[in-house]
Amino acid sequence: MRNFNKEQSSPLDYVDIKVDDESHISIKKKEVCLEKCENKPCTYYCPTRVFSWQGKQNEIRVDYQRCIECLACPYGCPYENIAWEYPHGGYGVIYQRS
Amino acid sequence: MKSDRYDAIVVGAGPAGSTAALVLAQNNISVLLIERGAEPGSKNMFGGSIYRQPVAKIIPAFWKEAPLERTIVSDELWLMDKNSAVKVGFTGLDFNQEPYNKFSVIRSNFDYWLAQKAVKAGAKLITSTLVTDLVYEKTGLLTEKVDGVKLDNGEIIYGDVVLLAEGANAPLTEKAGLRGKIESSDLFLYVKEEVALPAEVIESRFQLSENEGSNIGMIGYPTAGVSGRGGIWTNKESLSIILGGYLNQINNKGLSPYQLLSNFKAHPLVNRLIAGAETTAYKAHIIPKGGYTNLPQFYDDGVLVAGDAATLVSGRRGLDLAMLSGLYAAETIAQAQAAQDFTSKLLQNYEKKLKNSFFIKDIKNQKGKNQYYKKHPDGDFLISKATNKAAYQFFTVGLEEKKAKFKKIKSNFLNIESDQKLLSDLYSGLKHWRFF
Repeated sequence: MRNFNKEQSSPLDYVDIKVDDESHISIKKKEVCLEKCENKPCTYYCPTRVFSWQGKQNEIRVDYQRCIECLACPYGCPYENIAWEYPHGGYGVIYQRS
Repeated sequence: MKSDRYDAIVVGAGPAGSTAALVLAQNNISVLLIERGAEPGSKNMFGGSIYRQPVAKIIPAFWKEAPLERTIVSDELWLMDKNSAVKVGFTGLDFNQEPYNKFSVIRSNFDYWLAQKAVKAGAKLITSTLVTDLVYEKTGLLTEKVDGVKLDNGEIIYGDVVLLAEGANAPLTEKAGLRGKIESSDLFLYVKEEVALPAEVIESRFQLSENEGSNIGMIGYPTAGVSGRGGIWTNKESLSIILGGYLNQINNKGLSPYQLLSNFKAHPLVNRLIAGAETTAYKAHIIPKGGYTNLPQFYDDGVLVAGDAATLVSGRRGLDLAMLSGLYAAETIAQAQAAQDFTSKLLQNYEKKLKNSFFIKDIKNQKGKNQYYKKHPDGDFLISKATNKAAYQFFTVGLEEKKAKFKKIKSNFLNIESDQKLLSDLYSGLKHWRFF
């Protein structure tokens, strides 16, 4: 998986996620990312980098398994092109008790 | 009573929902509390600290039983530049005595405890369960009221009143037509790392005695020109390092929150506080900062909204306001049960209680504050830069006449900020910090 910075560290090393079978995040219209969206901000504002641009396929890839449910993506997308739903009950991020 | 019907159903076992469930159960009202996480608290994060006065209104002397980290005795604000900081702050050791002022907590522990408290009082809690829809009952030719919820397993559970305490993202509240669309310019995005350090190391680095804690808020350099803040909060054997800002500004500047946090941790004045600490958790969440004009409709027939779902956030206060709104909602539901009237005519008492509260007044008084930072996202950054530059010059011991020195400081200050902009940034900055 892609790394976040020079030190090759990933914050996901410190997160527990119970991954659901199906994605709770989707791109509504691929054309919008391709034709309208210049900067593709979802690829950097997402704190766990769920979104990445796939040059070959010309589309945003959604790694929903990385999502910690901060809820920034549906609001941050300038074209409101990200559909986000809650993962099924019990799935997704689990911040542990200590 | 049939087992699939409750007097009240609460969606979301966060601070608002669990408080409401607790108070309802204490009033002998049958209440079902539904949480989508594996446990209450497993989805929740904040800075942060909780405040004694509002929480004690709901649970007197809660500090004797709640999972608290440290008693906060010290608050600092750092205006930061690349390798310097102008610091203002207050340490009051009276705050380490009963009845205290505030405490650092970790939400996965605190929210769990609060929900269990509701359970012990008689509330029924189900976890790992997502509410997907509200269920309506026809009450007339054109009227209907909320009468229950639909779960993700298809099951329907009925309740006289449903309290939506579903958090910042509030799909049910939106679907019910109670809340409009939230813009990214009204949202803060926070990221946070918890890093482990032995208690003695924390106490020596932050000049604390046992159990005492310190909060440091930091503006300027850490958010790279985005209006927001960084911060370090002391827990028992860990530090919370937070960083956040307006989502639209993070987007416009092309910033990655995790990278910002990494840079923040590498700042020489931050790094010496966290040196040697191992990261144990990484968390992120949005906070609705919509202010007065974005407050939702708080009630409708058979339904109420509380906490973040109702965008009840004022400055750095959110958790305590959520709990108070949960309390008011529960009081209103108790009245509704007594009168057996679940229409908005009675439930509007909830809004009255909220509007009389100090925090809605605060939110109202802050009207326009967000506007300033929308127009001038660089306000905090420039003020921090200018004050640090001035401080370097002020504290540099040189060979020139005092008068000349001050003249130079002044002109340098004005090079970064024009006269008029300086005044308005300062004024807004101070107003902003007042709610810190």
